[in-house]
Amino acid sequence: MLRSGADLPVDSLQGQEGNDLTDLSQYLPILLFLGIALILSAAFVFLPMGVSRLTGTHNPTVNKLTEYECGFPAFEDSRSQFDVRFYLVAILFIIFDLEAAFLFPWAVSLNEIGWTGWVTMMIFLFELIVGFAYAWKLGALDWE
Amino acid sequence: MSVGNSLYLVAPEIILSASGLLLLLIGAWGGFKSARLVSILAVTALFASSAVALEFLLNPAFAEGGDAFFGQYRLDKFGSLTKLLIYISAIVSIIIAPRFFDNVAGGRSAVMRPEYPVLIVFAAIGMGMMVSAVDLMTLYIGLELNSLAAYVLASFLRNDERSAEAGLKYFVLGGLASGILLFGMSLLYGFTGTTNFNAINQAFESGLSTGALFGLIFVLAGMAFKISAVPFHMWTPDVYEGAPTPVTTFFATAPKVAALALTMRLAIEAFGSQIAAWQQIIIFIALASIVVGAAGAIGQTNIKRLLAYSSINNVGFILIGLAAANQAGASAMLVYLMIYVAMTLGSFVAVLDLRDADGNQVEEISSLAGLSKSRPGLAAAIAIFMFSLAGIPPLFGFWGKFLVFEAAVQADLILLAALGIAASVIGAFYYLKVIKVMYFDESADVVVKSDSKSHAVIIALCALFVSPLGYLLIPVLGNIADQAAAALFWAL
Amino acid sequence: MAIKLIVFLPLLAAIIAGLGNRALGNIPAKVITTGALFVSCALSWPIFLSFLGGDTQAFVVPVLDWVRSGDLNFNWALSVDTLTAVMLVVVTTVSALVHLYSWGYMDEDPDQPRFFAYLSLFTFAMLMLVTADNLVQMFFGWEGVGLASYLLIGFWFKKPSANAAAIKAFVVNRVGDLGFMLGIFGTFLVFGTVSIPEILAAAPAMAGSTIGFLGMRFDTMTILCLLLFIGAMGKSAQLGLHTWLPDAMEGPTPVSALIHAATMVTAGVFMVCRLSPMFETSETALAVVTFVGAATALFAATVGLVQTDIKRVIAYSTCSQLGYMFFATGVGAYGAAMFHLFTHAFFKALLFLGAGSVIHAMHHEQDMRYYGGLKKEIPLTFWAMLAGTLAITGVGIIHIGAIPALGFAGFFSKDAIIEAAYASGTEMGSIAFFVGVTAALLTSFYSWRLMFLTFWGKPRWIESEHIQHSVHKTPETAEDSTGGYHPHESPLTMLIPLGVLAMGAIFAGFVFHHAFIDAEQGAAFWNGSIAFDEHLMHAIHEVPYWVKLSSTFAMLIGLGTAFYMYMRGEGRPQALANQFRGLYQFFFNKWYFDELYDLIFVKPAFWFGRLFWKRGDQQTIDRFGPDGAATLVSYGSKVAGRLQTGYLYSYALVMLLGLVAAITWVMVR
Repeated sequence: MLRSGADLPVDSLQGQEGNDLTDLSQYLPILLFLGIALILSAAFVFLPMGVSRLTGTHNPTVNKLTEYECGFPAFEDSRSQFDVRFYLVAILFIIFDLEAAFLFPWAVSLNEIGWTGWVTMMIFLFELIVGFAYAWKLGALDWE
Repeated sequence: MSVGNSLYLVAPEIILSASGLLLLLIGAWGGFKSARLVSILAVTALFASSAVALEFLLNPAFAEGGDAFFGQYRLDKFGSLTKLLIYISAIVSIIIAPRFFDNVAGGRSAVMRPEYPVLIVFAAIGMGMMVSAVDLMTLYIGLELNSLAAYVLASFLRNDERSAEAGLKYFVLGGLASGILLFGMSLLYGFTGTTNFNAINQAFESGLSTGALFGLIFVLAGMAFKISAVPFHMWTPDVYEGAPTPVTTFFATAPKVAALALTMRLAIEAFGSQIAAWQQIIIFIALASIVVGAAGAIGQTNIKRLLAYSSINNVGFILIGLAAANQAGASAMLVYLMIYVAMTLGSFVAVLDLRDADGNQVEEISSLAGLSKSRPGLAAAIAIFMFSLAGIPPLFGFWGKFLVFEAAVQADLILLAALGIAASVIGAFYYLKVIKVMYFDESADVVVKSDSKSHAVIIALCALFVSPLGYLLIPVLGNIADQAAAALFWAL
Repeated sequence: MAIKLIVFLPLLAAIIAGLGNRALGNIPAKVITTGALFVSCALSWPIFLSFLGGDTQAFVVPVLDWVRSGDLNFNWALSVDTLTAVMLVVVTTVSALVHLYSWGYMDEDPDQPRFFAYLSLFTFAMLMLVTADNLVQMFFGWEGVGLASYLLIGFWFKKPSANAAAIKAFVVNRVGDLGFMLGIFGTFLVFGTVSIPEILAAAPAMAGSTIGFLGMRFDTMTILCLLLFIGAMGKSAQLGLHTWLPDAMEGPTPVSALIHAATMVTAGVFMVCRLSPMFETSETALAVVTFVGAATALFAATVGLVQTDIKRVIAYSTCSQLGYMFFATGVGAYGAAMFHLFTHAFFKALLFLGAGSVIHAMHHEQDMRYYGGLKKEIPLTFWAMLAGTLAITGVGIIHIGAIPALGFAGFFSKDAIIEAAYASGTEMGSIAFFVGVTAALLTSFYSWRLMFLTFWGKPRWIESEHIQHSVHKTPETAEDSTGGYHPHESPLTMLIPLGVLAMGAIFAGFVFHHAFIDAEQGAAFWNGSIAFDEHLMHAIHEVPYWVKLSSTFAMLIGLGTAFYMYMRGEGRPQALANQFRGLYQFFFNKWYFDELYDLIFVKPAFWFGRLFWKRGDQQTIDRFGPDGAATLVSYGSKVAGRLQTGYLYSYALVMLLGLVAAITWVMVR
């Protein structure tokens, strides 16, 4: 039983119990996109590997074989100390990233929600700015 | 309904939001020095919001209340009354804080920070939204706004191990509970097609599908975490013990009120047509909370931990009123909540007033020995709170218990009432133990005199409220609680 | 108003002295209680004398409403008629004198206010009993005197024997009280009221009816009377329920004089007399009363023969005299019973107080074997005791021709009872007559034995441990059997009551016998307050001379035997005891009643008690009740503590388990 709440107003949902299955057809483009994405991403991963295997010399070292991710060694004691500032930055990033995520549907539906919507988003942004200012003033953005 | 009108109905939250943002900036630029100013302004803002809430509560023009933001938020007497309780708790929590933080042992962060009142204000906004929420969305946003502020508050003494541990535990378990709640909400939405309480209720009238039942249980489980009802109570003793005492004071009062009010609103307004689905679970949770709260408290040596179990125990009694699932029960819960807030505020402020000669907080119960001689007034106040928490007449705590039991009996839950009364005997043991230590044990000479007038005033007011004089307020409180409870049942 | 003062002054005094206790001090407490009693006494005599003169009719003074419940209505009220007036003077006079006596006797006791408060409380309860106009108030007084008796027997509560005696008295009285209660319930069931006048008015009409009891049909009045009589037996220590009285001698001697001789133990007789119209309706009940009374008179007298403790001899004597009173009521001579009660109060209180004086002089030695030769040492006590002995043995000259009968108090009352038993003409009455004469012989013997052992002969004091303790020096000569001890006459506070009571013992019979037992005067005097049988009283005068003289002869034989045994030569009692070893042991061990009861009741009761205590209470009720709950709670507290590990994952686990359990519950339901 699936329903998309995003494109239907709440009120109109009542009484649509009958055509649950037919709704799925609407998701077909997404499925297609998913397939294409899978194919493309697989191509981007495996194509360079294949090409390099075929063209370059194969001379592995320990460092070469290590996974490279986020600046950390992949395997070590989980109780090691690291700088909390990574997380601070990450959290700040998430907050402002989400802000951007809110902006997309707002921008799309701005016609519908009018000035009220516009003012509301401005207030939302203002609140974020206050938070940003607070973080800045307290030095959360300074690495040192 | 116009947006302007909606904004008017959420005036308390707007006042708090605007001042919260402003205070945050003041705090950021003013530094530690501005803590006092920020505290004063925060208390002022909370008073202003309280005034608005009181106006909404008492002015006949708002007797009917009203929906705001397209049925996401409702102003009614129920919300206004609980908001008042929340704001009062928040005000007390701010007033008692500076003295505590300025004297914290160790001295590394031994100073009141301006963020404290700001966080309390943000939590208060969240709780205000919780008690007024009539939509799962509003509910969740309010709950999280409160929770996020609370997590930070719990670990406010971040250099103190216990405080940090409390914050972490609260955060992780809170996240788990939040997930459960959210999952339940998505199930409810999935199976009813709406997030609005009334609409959910209407959808339930035609029957309850398994998925919706799951959703209902999950949502209630999430709420049970917030009210620290058994078996979702495990965090409570650790967090209450570890968190700074003013924060514990806050946790034990305002979020309890908010979460209980929200649970009531959910149970009655959203799930009111399927009482049978949740009544037995609430009965179990209530009894389990009473018993576990009482049994757990018996072995405790730390008074904050003891009060944590005491709050679990009291939540059990309050839930008996919910199990009754009628208007009398809701009214009884509200009266109980009012008394509970007074008792708890009083007890924690009294605990806060216990300091040894070096200025350290005294939290061991055994250190209270001989308090009746060294601090007779404080000992008497604690004795009053303990007797009242135990529900021993003629103190006011008895009245709350009496009302919930009466409601249970009216709802034909005689066995529940009988078991509750029997279990309250267990609870009396540890409350009386504290009194016994204070009055009859060999003096430990640990606690020294305190010169805090604000503490004395708060303790005296709370003690006066729960003393037999409180019974004079029964007509007023009963009337308000009845009206507020009636507001819950209008929708049905 | 006088009657209210009479009754409530002692209560007030008891409350003041009892609550004031040590804060009040010895002297004020004693003054208040004794003063209150003397006022009561002074107010009582005019009432009695006005009844004696026929100037006053019976009256009732209401005090308070008590119970208004459906058909059950009764008040606190003070009812005064001739019977009550007699009891009033007996109670207040003896009580006042005992209060006074206690000034001297209890002088060295550390708890005097408590003692005097108890005494006054007892007096109040006794007065409530005798002034009751309904059975419930009578029961109140009945239990009140029982309580006071318990408290006073156990007054020296540090003595284990005193505590045991107090408990025994209380428990044995409960048996009687149960009968009394059942009697009251039954009476209410049958008559629909507890008011004594109404019951007595309705009683004759009920004669011959039957009632279901214990699954069988019985004669209503017989059942009721017997149940009430069981109550009287308990209180008056009649055969079967008598075992507590000798043990009650553990209490201070003034208590024995007041409660266990003059007043409380006569409550049973009073009750039977008060309800005499009821008893008159049942021949069977009267026969039982006669039999029990006669049996007690004989039994107690035989035991009294061989006791060595001076107070126990008098206690058995009391028991025996109470038996006389009961068989008097049994044969219908209620006037004679009350007369004996009246005179007995004087001479028995006198004997007890005299014994107390002797004990006081002999440094708390109570064993008569260690007395002897006290006549010279304490002459005033001797003369008082002699008067008491002459009274109890019934010394006197019967009325011959123009010379009126002359004699000591007991002579008039006891002879009247014995003659009434003969004159009643019933089979049971004849038995009672012979038993009465025999008991009179025995009475004379043990009374004179007491006198001879105590006051005559050589001092045997040296053998007494009490005396040895007090002297601390070796006698000057080997022949000095006094142990170097010098008894002292008691103080004036003790001698005055002895003197007053001696007057009573000497003159009470002669002065009042017309009013109490004369056929015509008696009927006028009692005036319907008891079932006074004029014909029986007439018949007393018509009995043959041998009957009239029989008790006098019995007395003389008893005196002669005692003289022969104890005044002429050593070792005769011992020789006789050896000769009749079995009989002696039987008497000495009080017919083995205590042993028998121990076997039949006490041991099984203890066994049951232990069963209920250990198995029932400790191992069942406590185990599964309070103790179990407490253990469960503390166990639960440990479990809760253990679950509270402090680890996040276990907390989360509990939360999730709770969620799963809730889901499972709603699904399975």
